[in-house]
Amino acid sequence: MSTRGVWSFHPAVMLAYYVVVIIGFMLSQHPVFLAVGVGFLLVFHFLIDKGKQLKTWSTMILTLAVFILVLTPVFNRRGNHILFYLFGNQVMLEAIIQGIMLALTLVGILLVFISLNQIISQDRFLYLFARISPQWALLSMLAVRFVPLLKKRLKEIEEIQKVRGFSVTKGSIKERGKNGMLFLQALLTGSLEQSIQSADSMSARGYGQQKRTHYQAFTMKNKDWYALTFILVTGSCMVFGWWLEDSVLSLLPVLETSQLEQREWVFIANWTLLLAFPLWLEGKEVAKWKFYLQKI
Amino acid sequence: MARSKKILIILSVAVLLLLCCFPLIISEHYMIVSLLIMGISFLPFMYRFSKQKLTSRELVMLAILGAIAAVSRVPFASLPSVQPTTFVIIAAAIVLGPQSGFVIGVLAAIVSNLFLGQGPWTPWQMYAWGMIGLTAGLLRNTLFMKHMLGRCVYGFGVGFLFGWFMNLWFVVSMINQISWTEILLYYSASFYFDLAHALSNVIFLFLFSNAWIKIIKRFKTKYGLFE
Repeated sequence: MSTRGVWSFHPAVMLAYYVVVIIGFMLSQHPVFLAVGVGFLLVFHFLIDKGKQLKTWSTMILTLAVFILVLTPVFNRRGNHILFYLFGNQVMLEAIIQGIMLALTLVGILLVFISLNQIISQDRFLYLFARISPQWALLSMLAVRFVPLLKKRLKEIEEIQKVRGFSVTKGSIKERGKNGMLFLQALLTGSLEQSIQSADSMSARGYGQQKRTHYQAFTMKNKDWYALTFILVTGSCMVFGWWLEDSVLSLLPVLETSQLEQREWVFIANWTLLLAFPLWLEGKEVAKWKFYLQKI
Repeated sequence: MARSKKILIILSVAVLLLLCCFPLIISEHYMIVSLLIMGISFLPFMYRFSKQKLTSRELVMLAILGAIAAVSRVPFASLPSVQPTTFVIIAAAIVLGPQSGFVIGVLAAIVSNLFLGQGPWTPWQMYAWGMIGLTAGLLRNTLFMKHMLGRCVYGFGVGFLFGWFMNLWFVVSMINQISWTEILLYYSASFYFDLAHALSNVIFLFLFSNAWIKIIKRFKTKYGLFE
């Protein structure tokens, strides 16, 4: 697993960052704030894997975004500025802005989760989980380990059954479904029987004898503390901006202009700082890499 | 132990009802309050399990059932929105009871999302599948669950409820001013997927629930687990 750039930080710091950014997307209901957020996340995705992971999700994200963009103005009729009439119903400027903000929020949150899946990998996720509840973490770790094993066994079962003429890929839906279930049933019986062996070997190695300690895969280093402080400070500044309603565009009773004014610049600077943090970490590495390549 | 379980269950059902009735009373800050209510009804079970003493055999059996529920999506990948995860959770809960049913449901959600990708939907899935396991386990000794027809009705209802509940993550987090027309439209868009889920639950339960329940029950008796 990669341990450079963003990945060199403690998982708790990563999680704190993502929580703060998600809160940011939910609170800062202002088109400029949201657009800046989405823009930074797109750049970040491009930096970490040239947007490969993003492409696999793009259809779902775009469908949801278009869905909201179209439907919000159609159904939301609260507002003061009538833009035009659609089949005899007025379409409001407020509703269109609302639609844009909702779509940006959704896209932003989904982008955050896609990168979260890449940054907080399975081992980090389980490490964080283990701090909260060791029993649940142990159980999930066991289950996570069983998944590839079961997939392998399932494949074996499928291959054997194919020779006998049963398949999940050919035939009517009814047959395919029935065969699939019968394979799973074979998997269930076999795996339950073998799981007892795994359990007994756990007991033989001392499971349940005394309190378990856990392996510390990550430690908080100095730079983790600095990063955490930075995240918490910018995060609270962002919440303060929401509380002052500077990072929120008011639609009703009076539509506020989307352009930024006075104090709002401070809060957008803060928001940019927060979003640029992982970008800076990754960009630094990329720049270094390019620099050394040129030297050679 | 048994009494605390009962109290917990009554409490969480009451809280769930509150969650359903809530939007009718107050529509402002619905999101935050509904998340709070969900947490309150969900966390006690998570906590209760984390403090429970289990033998290694029980632990591994729960893990394998959760993993099977998660993996069972694999052979059905070619059939859209047909997946036996819900069926596996119901069958296991009928044999092993509410607590184990809940654990298997939550575990299936965590594990399948670890492989398919976490998203804003993860906690909702954990909650939905956990509660399906819990209620199936609660009803296991009633005539309703013992009869095949009752089981199928349960599977059908739960298929739709699961879909509706999963739509909530979208509705609750995205639509601040909840308007019923919007929600209805969104729900009608997902109707065919929910229907496919509900029908596949019924078919799986009808054709296979007896066999699966028998297998798990035999296994439970053979090794004397969860007694």
